[in-house]
Amino acid sequence: MLAITNKELIMLEKAAHEFSRKVLFPERENNDKFPFGPFFQSTFEKAFDLDFFHTILPESIGGLGHGMTALCVLLESICTEDSSLGGIIFTHSAAMNLMLATGSQKELGPIMAKKNINDVLIAIPVFNNPSETNHLPEAVPDGETYCLSGPVDYLTLGGIAGHAIVAAKTKNKTGYSFFLVDLSQAGIRKSDPVLSLGLRACPSVDTRFEKVPARLIGEEGKGPDYFNKMADRMHTAAAAMSLGIMKGSFKEALDYGKKRDQGGRKIIQWSEMKMILGNMAVQIKVSDMIVTQSCNAVDNRDKDWEAGSRAAALHVQSLACDLTTDGVQAMGGVGYMKDFGQEKRFRDAKQLQALLGMCPVKKIRYLEKMI
Amino acid sequence: MISRSEIKAFTQKTPSFDDTFLGLKAISRQPSGMSKETRKVIALARKFNAEVVRPLALSLDITMQKDPTHIPMDFVNKANEWGFYTLWIPKLFGGQGYNLPSISFFLEEIGSECLAMANLIGVHYLGFAVAVSSWSTGLINRLCQDTINGEKTGKPCLMSLALTEPGAGTDVEETDLMDKGSVACHAKKVEGGYVVNGTKVFISNGHLSHWHMLIAFEDLKKPSASTVMLAVETGMKGFSFGRMEKKMGQKGCPASELMFDNCFIPDANVLFNSDQGKHFKRSLTRTNMQIIDFYFAASRAAVGAFGIGAARGAYNLARDYVSKTEMNGSLLINQEWVQSMLAEMYKNVLLGRLAYNEANYATSMHGMYKLIQQKQLYYITKYTPRIIFEKLIQPVLGNSLVLWLVRKFNFDMQTDEEIELTSGLASLAKFAGTDAGIKNCHMALELMGQAGLRHDMRAEKCLRDAKLLQIYEGTNQLNRLNLFKCLIAKDFTQATVFEEN
Repeated sequence: MLAITNKELIMLEKAAHEFSRKVLFPERENNDKFPFGPFFQSTFEKAFDLDFFHTILPESIGGLGHGMTALCVLLESICTEDSSLGGIIFTHSAAMNLMLATGSQKELGPIMAKKNINDVLIAIPVFNNPSETNHLPEAVPDGETYCLSGPVDYLTLGGIAGHAIVAAKTKNKTGYSFFLVDLSQAGIRKSDPVLSLGLRACPSVDTRFEKVPARLIGEEGKGPDYFNKMADRMHTAAAAMSLGIMKGSFKEALDYGKKRDQGGRKIIQWSEMKMILGNMAVQIKVSDMIVTQSCNAVDNRDKDWEAGSRAAALHVQSLACDLTTDGVQAMGGVGYMKDFGQEKRFRDAKQLQALLGMCPVKKIRYLEKMI
Repeated sequence: MISRSEIKAFTQKTPSFDDTFLGLKAISRQPSGMSKETRKVIALARKFNAEVVRPLALSLDITMQKDPTHIPMDFVNKANEWGFYTLWIPKLFGGQGYNLPSISFFLEEIGSECLAMANLIGVHYLGFAVAVSSWSTGLINRLCQDTINGEKTGKPCLMSLALTEPGAGTDVEETDLMDKGSVACHAKKVEGGYVVNGTKVFISNGHLSHWHMLIAFEDLKKPSASTVMLAVETGMKGFSFGRMEKKMGQKGCPASELMFDNCFIPDANVLFNSDQGKHFKRSLTRTNMQIIDFYFAASRAAVGAFGIGAARGAYNLARDYVSKTEMNGSLLINQEWVQSMLAEMYKNVLLGRLAYNEANYATSMHGMYKLIQQKQLYYITKYTPRIIFEKLIQPVLGNSLVLWLVRKFNFDMQTDEEIELTSGLASLAKFAGTDAGIKNCHMALELMGQAGLRHDMRAEKCLRDAKLLQIYEGTNQLNRLNLFKCLIAKDFTQATVFEEN
């Protein structure tokens, strides 16, 4: 990202970049074979050991206590090579953010203190805004807790995480509420990982709950408020992921253009190709400025930071879809093959556009907030 | 009001009437039976979609993801049983003789359900089109007889095109680039045939085709004037298959590496070479470009139809999803923003279809289909008993006089303006249709949100499959330049193409 002067952030960026280059890049194609190949557990564990999952967690509960800028620096670097790991970190961070938004630090602490990485992870349907879902599970009070029944589709990390945050409806309350669920409990049916367009090693599962004990987090019926609080922050992180993909796509296309001959000259010398690559470079520079500005606004709680964060995501995600299309195109046939990174970035960019809800609906909601 | 000479003068100005309103011109020229025949082809495609394509599309995609070396023979056998590999082979060569432009409608239909499966059928006709572009009637007949026998015996005999090389993609599609590029597939003339050395890559249907239309070069320093078109049979000594590519989409249709190591190909399998090319009015280089334009004018319109298939598939999926899905108590389909997006997608489908139709009209009146789509010949071939072709016509197709006449008509009687028009409009149809395909896939995924990301909802496959369309048969970038070359540059003597420094 632009103009990082904080030494800690510089170190974090360096570590994430090295990790991306040395660990993620060599295994990218293999890792993307999931669910038809093994899950990249060892890579995932290495990232955990490097504290990549604790960036935004307050120091009081074992985190690094960094702000949005740190999370974005990390996600952007990782997503230049493999957004699947970025997707896992994003999902987990979104879940933690939501718990913090509900004031559930007490519940979060013990989970984060667990030794096994999978037990630390928290699943959440991150490609969805619960307000856009028709069939939320029902939550029925059962003493001090609740019992959840119903489907939760596309629960990201649901197959590998120890806990999940689930939106459910309660009787006598409009809106919905959030619940923390221990996924090791009986009564939860999980599908195989859902085969998806992108982020294949950031798996989602369809789940069905049958009277599963769950703990209410935050106040009953205030789910939409908590979701929006979380989403206001996490949209900037989503934009940073798309920015990382854009940078990876541009670099690979540029490198290829310098090596590949066509018509007796390097394709980088073709003015049509220069125009495509030039357009990509401009899109990246603009996106970089947007993400940097949005990070600052989120961290400093600048005026209208929430709107800025959402606008940043919508704009950068859209640019990433365009750019990765050109990224494949710039490499011709090989750009479409799995031996290179471009086709995965193309898929991942489109997958990321659906983070936190449907893209057109997010635009409509953005305007509705203004009027 | 306006004189005859003024009408002529004004309609010849750019854009000329004849180049821009091909549909109007074609209506009176094309046989009326074509419409009925095309209706039947579309119905047949829809029936095949319902019974074969839709039930198998997702499972074939998953099978290929699990095992990228899988050869989808089950599907090819089905298509063979349905007669799809002879449907557009002219009756002259023993095929079913359906009108050639109707293949675009057919491919749009199949492509709207699965582009990989559309390709498993369509690419066979790319191989066929390349063979036809040589106008080597005797050898074309031989290849077609193998396909027809393959249908009768239940052993599919497909054709492919082996053109792209590891170091030359765009280069082998334009003679202006060939001599500057890095083509490497060498054909050495020896007694009785050619010895070929080299590698071809990204060959659609390579592993499952029996005949491969190989484009090789006698002089690697001057390939544009030394192109050799050869029909290579699977199993020939020195010819082997390499890897199958691991693609993002269209997984069900293999993209193969073909390797030639001192592969001897007899003279009887030569479709076209420099010796034969010397007898025509154009230079060898221009004749070779004319041949490239013959087959790409036909096939790029078909790729445009693939693109519209993708656009339509995406539109169908999104429309069905929003018509059943509620948000905040109201069906999505009743929200104006959704209606507007659906209308935009519908428009993309319709405009793209018009574009590939115009390209096909051009090819029917001025290009490869000119002879066979001629009204009188169309009806003669349609109603002449098959036995007449078998006993009287096919035996003379290898005759040198027939070969000379057919080539004279197709090579020398086609004007430069006709080449430019057919080639330019096919490029337009190709990039317009395939860009529309990608556009609609993106819109479908946006309309479907989380559901669109799932393989079992089909839209994500549609996007993955569609992306390849912008790349093969010449990247859309090359096709834009070709359109400029063919339809714009002609009015500017100072304009040069492919000569930038």
